[in-house]
Amino acid sequence: MDKPEKLDSNMWLDNYGDMMYRYTLVRVRDPDEAEEIVQVSLLAALQAKDSFQGRSSEKSWLFGILKHKIMDHFRAAKKHVSLDLSSDDPGDPYEKAYDHTGHRHSPSSSWNLDPESAAQNQQLVLALSTCLDKLPDKYRKVFIMREVEGLSSNEICNEFNIQPTNLWVILHRARNHLKKCLETQWLGK
Amino acid sequence: MNKITKWLKLTCEDTLLLISEKMDHSLPLSKRWRAGLHLAMCTVCREYQKQLWILSSLARCLGKAEGPTDPSFKLSLEARERLKQSLK
Repeated sequence: MDKPEKLDSNMWLDNYGDMMYRYTLVRVRDPDEAEEIVQVSLLAALQAKDSFQGRSSEKSWLFGILKHKIMDHFRAAKKHVSLDLSSDDPGDPYEKAYDHTGHRHSPSSSWNLDPESAAQNQQLVLALSTCLDKLPDKYRKVFIMREVEGLSSNEICNEFNIQPTNLWVILHRARNHLKKCLETQWLGK
Repeated sequence: MNKITKWLKLTCEDTLLLISEKMDHSLPLSKRWRAGLHLAMCTVCREYQKQLWILSSLARCLGKAEGPTDPSFKLSLEARERLKQSLK
């Protein structure tokens, strides 16, 4: 049996600092908030150091704490701004692409990308990050929780008091805004 | 008969919403059938479905701890120093 891994808190910042910051920044957008979340997570890890039982690697353990702190951040933000759909939220960017019968005026262009291998294109992944920064805050948060964090629709609805049908509309619009951004700015469509 | 055909025939606008919805929850059988029927005949909607799958896989990759990074994703020297001090 493998020896349980030991923690080396003196090396956390050197070994995982940038990785934790990047992981957080992808999710919360604001550099100051991201730095604060990394700090709070590392301090929480220091306090919980003695309870580490070596069942997971040091890195997984630290990222587990970080994930909790990021969710705490989202929960705290919902107290100030509701994430449910409102009439003020931006609509579907492709709304005008349909005629009165609901059919498209012109066909959308093909991306010529393979879904299996597209994520190996690091430039495209980073392009998505830039497009995410341009999304309205509500759409961004909901998309992050669903597609980046992998929470289920039920979890998001229960945690953030969103009606399921509204959640699906928010996600549909968020995806369309991202799709349009990728097409116009990165895929040259 | 006309009513049934009308009910079965979804527009692209309706179908695109269902394609997106399907990524978030399991659709009721009737919606699955109708969307499936439309998809079988519509290349525009099939391409859209593929694009949403790509978007989803890009998002998953971005979210990984070892995902791609650029200089703006790194801690500044000042931020690193602040964190170092707070951990002492």
